[in-house]
Amino acid sequence: MIALEFPPINEILRWKDLFPTFNKIALIAVLAAVIGTLIFLLAGNKDAKVAPKGIRNFAESIVEFIENGIVMQTMGRDGLGWTPFLLSLFSFIYLCNVPGIIPFLQMPATARMALPVFLSLLVWVVFIVTGFKHQGLGYIKSSLFPPGVPKALYILVTPIEFISTFLVRPFSLTVRLFANMLAGHILLVTFGLLSEALFQAKGNPALIPVGVLPLFMLIFLTGFEVLVAFLQAYIFTILTAVYIGGAAHPEH
Amino acid sequence: MLTAVVIRSGQALQVHLVSSETSGEPVDLSQCEFKPEATNPTKCGPGPSPIIPEMKELAWGAGSFIVFALLMRFFLFPRLKKGMDSRYNSIREGHENADSTRASARSEVAQYEAAVVAAKAEAAKVVDAARATLETERQAAITAANARIATQREAAMAAADAARTAGRSQVESAVVDVVSSAVEIATGKRPDGSAVSRAVADAMSAGVR
Amino acid sequence: MEAFVHIAAAAGLTGDEAKAASAAGSAGFAYGLAAIGPGIGIGYLVGKSVEAMARQPEAAGMVRTTMFLGIAFTEALALIGFVVFILIGL
Repeated sequence: MIALEFPPINEILRWKDLFPTFNKIALIAVLAAVIGTLIFLLAGNKDAKVAPKGIRNFAESIVEFIENGIVMQTMGRDGLGWTPFLLSLFSFIYLCNVPGIIPFLQMPATARMALPVFLSLLVWVVFIVTGFKHQGLGYIKSSLFPPGVPKALYILVTPIEFISTFLVRPFSLTVRLFANMLAGHILLVTFGLLSEALFQAKGNPALIPVGVLPLFMLIFLTGFEVLVAFLQAYIFTILTAVYIGGAAHPEH
Repeated sequence: MLTAVVIRSGQALQVHLVSSETSGEPVDLSQCEFKPEATNPTKCGPGPSPIIPEMKELAWGAGSFIVFALLMRFFLFPRLKKGMDSRYNSIREGHENADSTRASARSEVAQYEAAVVAAKAEAAKVVDAARATLETERQAAITAANARIATQREAAMAAADAARTAGRSQVESAVVDVVSSAVEIATGKRPDGSAVSRAVADAMSAGVR
Repeated sequence: MEAFVHIAAAAGLTGDEAKAASAAGSAGFAYGLAAIGPGIGIGYLVGKSVEAMARQPEAAGMVRTTMFLGIAFTEALALIGFVVFILIGL
C-alpha cells in the first residue's frame, strides 16, 4: 500500500517568518507592489512619441483593458477618473495571485484571509464614501428604498437591500477571492502530493508509472490557475467598478 | 498543596495533580514522563487558521497596497497617461491633416476635371465650326462644278445640234441633187427644184421622226 | 453529523477521533451539496450567454462582461460552501 498522508489545511499555509512579522505572504505582497511599480515606472520612462513596444506596450495594454474593458462597460465616461485606483487594484491582485504557480513562491498571497479582507473593506469604504459624496443623504434613500416598489413592501425590501448592499457585498468580495485562490492552492498541493506519493510507492513498483497521471493533472491545473488568477483579479476589479458606479449614479 | 504536572505528548495534554503534602517534598519533575517537543522536529504546532486574518499579513499587505495605489494615482499613471494622450493627439492630428490634404487634393482634381471639360467643349466648338466651313465650301465647289458642267453640256449639245442640222441640210441637198438627177434621167427634163426639195424634206422628216 | 458519530463509534473510534471522522465526512457533504446549485446555475448562465453572443455577435462584449458578473455572483454560493468545508474540517 502507499501511504498518502494529506496534511491539514492549516499546515499547507504555514510559513516561517523571514524576520519577525515578515513572512512569505508579506514578502509576496511587497513584491507585488514593487513589481507593479517597476513595470509602470519603466513603461513611463520610455519615449511616448514612438509606437509603444516592449514594456510600455504591455503597460498601455493593461491601462486600455481597464479603461475599455472595465470602466467604460460599467461606469461610462464619467468613471474614467477611477482608472488609477482600479488599475492598481487589478495589478496588485493579479501580482498577488500569480505567485501561486511560480516555483519557489508557490503560494498566492490572496489565499490568506488578510489581503482579501483588507481590499474588500477598502472597496466597501470607497463605494460608500462615493455614494455619500455624489448623492449626499439621498444615497441612503436610493440604496435602501429603491424607487418603483409599493410602499408596503419596503418593510420587506429595505432590510434585504441593507444586507445585500452593506453586508453581503464586502463579504462576498472577500470570500470569492480568498476561496478561489485557496481552492486552487489546495488542488495543486493535492495533485503534487498524490504524484509524489505514487512515484515513491515502496511495496508496489507497478504504481510508480501511474504517478504520471496526477502529474499531468498538476500541469493542466497549473495552466488553469493562470487563468483563475487573471479572472479573479478581473472579477474583483469589475465588481468594484460596478459598486462604485452604482453608488455614484443610482439610475444605472 | 497540589502541584500540577502537565505532560504534552503529540496533540494530547495530560494533567496530573500530585499532592506535595503526601510526599512531603517538591515533585521531581525529571521523574515525570515528560517528552520535549524537539524529539520530532517535523511535527511542530498547528499552522495558522485558514480563515482568521493575521495581523502581520494584513499590515504588510495593506501597507504595500496603499503605497502602490498612491504611487499609481499621483505618479505612475499620470505620467503614462500623459504620454498616451499626447501620442493619441498627435495621431489624431495626423489623421485630420491627412483628411484636409485629401479634401484639397479632391478639390484640385475637380478643378482640373472642370478645366478638361471646358477645353473639350472648346475643341468640339472649333471642330464644328471647321466642319461647317468645310461643308459650305464643298457645297460651293459642287455648285460651281455643276454649273460649269451644265454650261459645257449646253455648248456641246448646241454644237451637236448644229452639226446634226448641217449634216441633215447637206444630206438633204445631196438627196435633192440625186433625186433631181434621177428624175432628169427618167423624164428627160429638169424638175422644179423647189418641189423636189419640198418632197425630200417631207420624206426625210417623216423617215427621221 | 450524528449519523457519522454513530458510525465512527461502531467502528471502534473514541471521543475526539469519532468527532474528527464525522467532521471530515460532513465537510465533504457540505461542499458537495453547496456545489450542486451553482454548478447548474453557471452552466445555464454561460449557455444562455453563448446563445446571446451567437445571435448578436455585435453585442458580444457587453454580454461577456455581464456574464462574468453573473458568474461571480453565482459562484459565491459555492465558495461559501467551500469556506464552510474548511471551517467544519478544522
